Amino acid sequence: MTDVASANAAAAAGPTSSFSMVEEPLDLVRLSLDERIYVKLRGDRELRGRLHAYDQHLNMVLGEVEETITIVDVDEESNTQSVRTVNRKVPMLFVRGDGVILVSPPSRAS
Amino acid sequence: MSEQQQQSATAVAKKTPTDFLNHILGRRVFVRLNSGIDYRGVLACLDGYMNIALEQTEEYVDGELRNRYGDAFIRGNNVLYISTA
Repeated sequence: MTDVASANAAAAAGPTSSFSMVEEPLDLVRLSLDERIYVKLRGDRELRGRLHAYDQHLNMVLGEVEETITIVDVDEESNTQSVRTVNRKVPMLFVRGDGVILVSPPSRAS
Repeated sequence: MSEQQQQSATAVAKKTPTDFLNHILGRRVFVRLNSGIDYRGVLACLDGYMNIALEQTEEYVDGELRNRYGDAFIRGNNVLYISTA
């Protein structure tokens, strides 16, 4: 069993278990503070940046952000689709929580 | 319906949706989002908003594997359903 799952089993055993680190999903975000994270947003947008702050809505302040926008172009004459991505860098960014789909911490040894 | 009848009706004899979710903690699950994107992984935990923490997550778009994440937080409002894998 992996770390989080075993911690979760500990959480199920009792709320006072001291070694349970991830008891609720937001703990995953809390453990990623000051780390570089990946955020998947609505509208085919992705962010990679350092997590400075967040709240229960998943509003976030990210630093040193790289935004990747995926655009699908449709050529009406040949009726073909082509996918391209646009990258841009933002030094500091506030993300409104309702646009967030997924947050992934930096990959830990697992 | 008596409790015994309920238990014979399904292997997962739980009374509420939340009981079901607590029952499948730590199991491999399949999560579909409203956008149609699917995630497979081990259900680490979830909360009342249906925010989900998954481990060993695989992301499928149109049935094709697109991404892997060690851990993934999925915001609950995007969730269409959760099933056991």
